[in-house]
Amino acid sequence: MAKATKTKRASVTVRGPHKMPVHLFVNRQDYELHVEPRRTLLDALRKDLGLTGAKKVCDEGTCGACTVIVDGKPVYSCLTLAIECEEKSIETIEALAQDGKLHALQQAFIEEDAYQCGFCTPGQIMSLKALLDENPNPTLDDVKRAVSGNLCRCGAYPKIFRAGLRAAEILRSKKGA
Amino acid sequence: MARVVKTKTEFEGNFFEQYIVIEGDELTPWAADEKLEKVGKCTPRVDGSERVTGDAKYTYDIQLAGMLYGRILRSPYPHARIKSLDTRAAEKLHGVRAVLTHKNIPQIPLRMGQHFLLEPTLRYAGDEVAFIVADDEEIAEDALELIEVDYQELPFVIDPEEASQPSSPQIHLNGNVLNGKPEEYERGDAEKALREADVTIEARFTTQVALHNSLETHGSVCAWEGDSLTVWDSTQHIYGVRAGVAQALGLPLNKVRVIKKYMGGGFGSKNGAGKYTLLAALAAKKVGRPVHMMLTRKEENLAAGNRNNTIQYLRLGAKRDGTLTAIYLRSYAGLGAYSLWGTSPGGPARQLYACPNVKTIQYSVFTNTGPMAAFRAPGYVEGTFSFEQAIDMLAQKLHMDPLELRLKNYIDTNPMSGMPYSTKGLREAYERGAKLIGWRERKSKKITQGTQRRGFGMASQIWGGSGGPPAYALCKLNNDGSATIITGTQDIGTGTKTVLAQIAAEELGFPIERVSVELGDTQDGVYSPLSAGSMTLPSVGPAVRVAAHDAKEQLLSIAAQVLEKPKDQIKLKDGLLHVQGLEKPVELKEVLAMKLQNFMIIGKGARGPNPEKYSVNTFGAQFADVTVDTETGEVLINKIVAVHESGRVINPLTIGSQIEGGVIQGLGFALTEERVLDRHTGLVLNPNLEEYKVPTALDVPEIEHEMIDRADPYANNLGAKGVGEPPIIPTAAAIANAISDAIGVHVTDGPITPDKILKALNKTQIGGNHA
Amino acid sequence: MRNFEHITPPDLESAVDLLSERGTKSIAGGTDLLPEMKSRLRSPRRLVNLKALEELRYLKHNARKGFQIGALTTLAEIESNELIREKIPILAQAASVAASPQLRNMGTIGGNLCQSVRCWYYRAPEFKCWLKGGDTCYAIEGENKFHAILESSPCCAVHPSDLAPALMALGASVHITGTDEEGTVSLEEFFVRPKASNRQMTILGANELITEVQVPMLDGDSSGIYLKAMDRKVWAFALVSVAVQVSWDKERVKGARIVLGGVAPIPWRVPAAEEIVRDQAITEEIATSASEAALEGAQPLRDNGYKIALAKALVKRALMTLAERAKK
Repeated sequence: MAKATKTKRASVTVRGPHKMPVHLFVNRQDYELHVEPRRTLLDALRKDLGLTGAKKVCDEGTCGACTVIVDGKPVYSCLTLAIECEEKSIETIEALAQDGKLHALQQAFIEEDAYQCGFCTPGQIMSLKALLDENPNPTLDDVKRAVSGNLCRCGAYPKIFRAGLRAAEILRSKKGA
Repeated sequence: MARVVKTKTEFEGNFFEQYIVIEGDELTPWAADEKLEKVGKCTPRVDGSERVTGDAKYTYDIQLAGMLYGRILRSPYPHARIKSLDTRAAEKLHGVRAVLTHKNIPQIPLRMGQHFLLEPTLRYAGDEVAFIVADDEEIAEDALELIEVDYQELPFVIDPEEASQPSSPQIHLNGNVLNGKPEEYERGDAEKALREADVTIEARFTTQVALHNSLETHGSVCAWEGDSLTVWDSTQHIYGVRAGVAQALGLPLNKVRVIKKYMGGGFGSKNGAGKYTLLAALAAKKVGRPVHMMLTRKEENLAAGNRNNTIQYLRLGAKRDGTLTAIYLRSYAGLGAYSLWGTSPGGPARQLYACPNVKTIQYSVFTNTGPMAAFRAPGYVEGTFSFEQAIDMLAQKLHMDPLELRLKNYIDTNPMSGMPYSTKGLREAYERGAKLIGWRERKSKKITQGTQRRGFGMASQIWGGSGGPPAYALCKLNNDGSATIITGTQDIGTGTKTVLAQIAAEELGFPIERVSVELGDTQDGVYSPLSAGSMTLPSVGPAVRVAAHDAKEQLLSIAAQVLEKPKDQIKLKDGLLHVQGLEKPVELKEVLAMKLQNFMIIGKGARGPNPEKYSVNTFGAQFADVTVDTETGEVLINKIVAVHESGRVINPLTIGSQIEGGVIQGLGFALTEERVLDRHTGLVLNPNLEEYKVPTALDVPEIEHEMIDRADPYANNLGAKGVGEPPIIPTAAAIANAISDAIGVHVTDGPITPDKILKALNKTQIGGNHA
Repeated sequence: MRNFEHITPPDLESAVDLLSERGTKSIAGGTDLLPEMKSRLRSPRRLVNLKALEELRYLKHNARKGFQIGALTTLAEIESNELIREKIPILAQAASVAASPQLRNMGTIGGNLCQSVRCWYYRAPEFKCWLKGGDTCYAIEGENKFHAILESSPCCAVHPSDLAPALMALGASVHITGTDEEGTVSLEEFFVRPKASNRQMTILGANELITEVQVPMLDGDSSGIYLKAMDRKVWAFALVSVAVQVSWDKERVKGARIVLGGVAPIPWRVPAAEEIVRDQAITEEIATSASEAALEGAQPLRDNGYKIALAKALVKRALMTLAERAKK
């Protein structure tokens, strides 16, 4: 391998290990938290902001119940450090209903009975929200793939698929109207 | 006037006779052709919006001022004794508020003294050693690393059949076999009948340990106010948790309040107080602050229960015409380290068919592994996997269609008790299912070319699901014409709240929007049984109906007096009083609020006894259509058909969810789910959702389901039976039979993974040095 | 996880510089590192956050150099990139069957190539296995259904990456930047069997980073396929996978690269099989003998003998599928 020319190191800021201020932009609101670097986005949302919609199930990126949308993409908030989310836009299930009116996905989940215990539901909905934001005309296969990173132990999948398609329909008809 | 009556109840395949207290008069069951407006209609969940907005508060979500977090140190050995334990460094860590060990807490016996809350003897890898509470979970975890324990390792045993031998390491003083001997059942003479049978088959089956993996882990949040304890618990049985906590801590029942509003899955594993509950309560008392103690995913999979593994030796005998003459089953089930009961893998063998000679010998055996817990139809899922495969083996040997063989041995009376079934819709389920899957045309759809093989299989289901007393309900009519149903049951995700609202609305003649249902709180509620054993609806539903009826009768009496009309000329419909002779219906608030101000009507209801002369059971049949890749061993399920009979359908929308969910869990059990233990160390290798593979969205095939919707005239005043467990029971067996139909070999060890299929097809090279 | 210090360096140079300090780890997608930290398998004192290094987030293509993919490019970006789907679909295929949609939004190509093995003994903190500095591979005598059938000593974990076999079949290289050195190595050089002095599956030093993945221009008429067998339909690591990239002269194979995943501690290229198909029109017979050659020397452990049959089936199927397509 070739030698790289070494330049002087730029100055860097070390943060932590103790609690320090972290700025988050969640559901169109600014927050300042005081947390350690090891605070995950999931714990920050749940414990520091009281947004308990995203669930802790495995805490290691193997279930999808903690799914939130960061800069438009669904991600696992348990494998995301809060400190690395500054200057990002974070969207959680709590922001979906607007002015007391349910989002089409929420409405469709109720109508189709697309849940049983409901613990995975916020994650499922956020995955589908990201899909519908990007693709207003999803096929059944698109819907299935969109929630393929969200486990449902009760087995509500068939109805989740139906709810995803139905929500897309509701949104399209709203746009058309 | 309260009455004491004797009744028979069934739970998880076991029958109990008990005295129960009931109150109020029993109602005549709704007739099969009764015109019902709310019951039987697709009704979205009354708490749907909480579930989709993140507003629903689960135990995990409870946050209280000053709340601390708990973490448990667990044994790294399957069998060991704590020689010494040093917690000083952990206690000194900044943010640690208490460390509990067997040295500083009272000796609290659990499971009738089988073990203690914390004790120096550890009987499985995962057994509780110490408990830490700290300001946050990470700090508690830091502290766990600082506890020093010197363990003396003891010999251990993990295989139930091996553990049943007296020479095995002993886990409890009374030996490893539960109750000292196997549970035996016999009718006729099975051994003789086997000798005399025209045709016999014999096979050994094994089923794996399956993990519930409820998405919400087990756990509790405990807070004291003076000498009163409030416990938020992720449980299927708030009154069970209350009793367990009160007994363990020596508290009167009225000083323990248990709350569970929403729960993230339980599937049978959350039927009582856990060690986590008691530890959190003790620690909360000690430090004077609330304690949040939810298990981690790993702990959930080590210590929170499992579907036990089984080894089953099965022999069947039949006449040449297919008449079953003998069934003989010897089974071993691994209980893990602690249990007071064992499951009945022999249940299906004893009950499914008319067979005069049946013997089942069931060993439930302690092993040095995580304790078992009920898991959706415990015993019957395992027993059906083997028994219904054996029936197919017999059909093959007899050159009979598997469905014809089943019909040949159909029986309308319970072969164990001789009593008729209250309803049995299995024949219709077979017929409908066969039609939906294309059973009779299946041979034309088989693929025999290339590497793909398509096959069809079926299996039958029997289970209890009668529910029973005691269960109580109250119905409060508020003076604005709204109603509140109060029970002490729990909605574990099945839609209990919604069906209870339907029943109350039906009986009251109210719109469903005017009925709310309160449950999940021991202090505000009235006793209801655990939500397990497919018993919630058939236990609590009838009590709700009685309570609503009582309230309605009171309301009509009051209305009669206020309106000065005979009571029998007043009817309640759509929440309005329709009075004979009056043109316009009368609003309820006109009667209640305007005339009587703050009057409240309180209706009371109790679940009546079960019928004495009928056997109340649930039935179903499932059919599977699969394609097996004979080169890769991969199984593609093309379709599952599920047809079940659970009496009257109260809510077709939510019952469909139950059926689909059961099938999906069943296919996970059939194909992918298995707890893996390291044979040399006894440690669980996959206590996580990565290597313990539950079905994903893409594992789900088309599932077509139907209910044989038939009001049961004897079961209870609704005519409804339970449905939570039935749909998981036959799935794995149906899939196994379909795979066998596809590849021509039965895979008798679950789960049926690609490696087992390739092995069955003789495509696997056996490892040399390491066998 | 234990607490740590966190640094977001302004540029690549500072990043590698910071990595030279003991107890420092880099974090990008975090999907591999954070679970290891949570189970306390690793407890770095300091994390260097690479995510802000925009200079590593790009995807370039030109006719001379082929693809140059910045290390921070996510799996989702690879999966959905039109040029990749058109020119090297095998890579898009491999990315699309890796992990889950969320993990693909988070995980990077650099991290994917550097990920740790999934062996359950390695992942369990209770076992101090050879790979973690101990002296025993517990899997060799233990539960080894998912383990290696080739090169299974001293560690029989298998390489879990889906992208690695596909990239190796494409003849890809990685550019590595360290404090003192930088340079480009082929993936065959990058992945190494673990040995006592280097208990990991790559040559990457603690203070080095993959900064770019390079996929050379493919020879004229070329096609590839990635097949993955799993024990559930999605979101599982491969039981066995195979990546095959073939360059064609009409229906004859000019050259082929065949790489297996899930069979050895590193992505396993099988030159003997490649040799068999070279200059041949692929028939069932040729595909079968190539598949036999691919598994030459495979030694099953107690529970993983099925992998030999499975791997052979996939190799054969991949070749046959490509041959079918070449005819069209």
